[in-house]
Amino acid sequence: MGSLDGIITGFQTAFSLEAILFVIIGVFVGTIIGMLPGLGPISAIAVMIPMTFGMDPATALIMMAGVYYGAIFGGSTSSILLNAPGVSGAVATSFDGYPMAQQGKAGKALAIAAIASFTGGTVSVVLLMLLAPALSSVAVSFGPAAYFALMLLGLTAIASLSEGSTIKALISAVAGFMVVTIGIDAQTGTQRFTFGNMNLLEGLDFLVIALGLFAIAEVCSLVLNRKDKSVKDTHNIGSLKLDKQDLKDMSGPMTRHSFLGFILGVLPGAGATIASFISYIFEKRLSKNPDEFGKGSVKGLAAPETANNAATSGAFVPLLSLGIPGSGTTAVMLGAFLVLGVQPGPMLMTDRPEIFWGVIASMYIGNIFLLIINLPLIPYFAKILKIPRPLLISLVIVFSMIGVYAISFNTFDLYMLLLFGVIGFLMRLFSFPAPPFILAFILGGMLEQSLRQAMTISNGSLSIFLDDKIALGLLILALLSFVFPLLKQLRKNKEKAAEA
Amino acid sequence: MLKTLNQKVSLILIAIAALYLFGAFRIPSYPYAIVDADVLPKTLGVLLIVLSIFLFFAKDSETEEQKKRRDIPKREIGMLLGVAGLILAYILLLEVIGFVLTTALFIFFCSFFLGYRNHVANGITAVVFPLVLYFMFTELLSITLPSGILPF
Repeated sequence: MGSLDGIITGFQTAFSLEAILFVIIGVFVGTIIGMLPGLGPISAIAVMIPMTFGMDPATALIMMAGVYYGAIFGGSTSSILLNAPGVSGAVATSFDGYPMAQQGKAGKALAIAAIASFTGGTVSVVLLMLLAPALSSVAVSFGPAAYFALMLLGLTAIASLSEGSTIKALISAVAGFMVVTIGIDAQTGTQRFTFGNMNLLEGLDFLVIALGLFAIAEVCSLVLNRKDKSVKDTHNIGSLKLDKQDLKDMSGPMTRHSFLGFILGVLPGAGATIASFISYIFEKRLSKNPDEFGKGSVKGLAAPETANNAATSGAFVPLLSLGIPGSGTTAVMLGAFLVLGVQPGPMLMTDRPEIFWGVIASMYIGNIFLLIINLPLIPYFAKILKIPRPLLISLVIVFSMIGVYAISFNTFDLYMLLLFGVIGFLMRLFSFPAPPFILAFILGGMLEQSLRQAMTISNGSLSIFLDDKIALGLLILALLSFVFPLLKQLRKNKEKAAEA
Repeated sequence: MLKTLNQKVSLILIAIAALYLFGAFRIPSYPYAIVDADVLPKTLGVLLIVLSIFLFFAKDSETEEQKKRRDIPKREIGMLLGVAGLILAYILLLEVIGFVLTTALFIFFCSFFLGYRNHVANGITAVVFPLVLYFMFTELLSITLPSGILPF
């Protein structure tokens, strides 16, 4: 059985000394960046990509995956201690985590969050091991038409599921797609939107976009909030001990939301943030006394923390087995794969088992180290929150600039970074979500390529999208996820108009 | 006419889409491609116009918190522009005086500008951080960063 050999190869890769060292570095950096309010997993991954240049791809990706789930894991700390979530996936954590900390039980809250995260993270890796290969073997038969439809579905799903206005999210996706058309067209060699500028011939690098729209835009928000003085009470977090009743209360939500979170993570467009909110609401509905939610409920804390970590592993399913990211964060992860010359997709499992299984297997180790970092060592780590904001801002800017410069050695890209930082900040101000932009940017080239392949096969006839049953089904889904929110919005408008 | 913010934003987006479409129609055609280079850009331009029209008629769905984000005091706009200016200076100087010096100066002045007054800690970070990064990139990752006027 081929996949058993693959699994063994993967575990051998993941348990090599080098891989263990880099997974520790990954989760360590991830925890720190995830903890810092304002800086999310996308910035964390993008900032770390230049560090992987020249590394062995398997080891590098094991580290990058560690950065990703480490950031989600670490995000809970600032939610609980400061009521300032480090990542959006940890917003729901603050609903009950912060009240608990205010009652002097910060240590307990951190312990619950760490154990719930660990459980969610570990259970979901088991599920990932089961589902990813299954999906891979199905996806091998997908033709370009099906792939085109799948990517389109990914884009419309993220747009209709992002917070706020669906129209704005779709506009953001179209804009991301427009930016990727800049440069020489790969198939025809035609220059598009290069304005005769040599620097634009190869198009814009995705790190410029990722670091600009996220890291630099986040820096702008940090500049505005630099006087946030809520960091003072981090030294005394109280006992980390949990009693039997706490553990009993946690066991139910942890079991439920390991599965629910994982499934939500697999679906395109969802991801850690949505999973944590849905889990929180679900748990509250299920509870006999929903009144205690929001006032420091153990269940209300355990549910979203389990779910957001489970969703993170879930998000690796489409990324590893289809090569198609379902969220902004996994889009940047895909970028990390491509930078290292690895193309995720259905062939990855058989062609590069050391990467496919190595990344998955390393998550067990990563989660154990995260538990150590976030449980006994958390009082020391929480001190990171005391880094003066001005210094933090300068360092993030330098990291972003060096990351971009190290890929092209060209200051033109740095000006572009600044430009996209400004665009990202404006998008924040006017509530245009950035994840659809980055997802469209990453998928854009692949989308056009699969469209062309499909049309070449069919000799220019669009009927291929109707004949390919998988493609047709996915296209209908994409259309529905695109049309429904727009109709809902129109109906809302009419209701509002009727009220007025 | 332009009462809501959505309407203003929508018009700006339509203008961008029009410019983009103008560019898209000037993309030279290539006779042997089934899906030519201009197909997607034209589709995207039209799509953006359609979505912007939707936005024009959409009711405001922002929360109070999202609206509050736009209330930036004038002084803070100055701070943002100041940081942008420092970034520009960094880009201009990077290849002239080198990575280590530029980065050290940037960290010190940017932190100072943003109100950090612990000069000793600032100075130490500004010196140690670029040196560590420089050696990490050049020695461990074999990526050459501009050395500039420093001898190493």
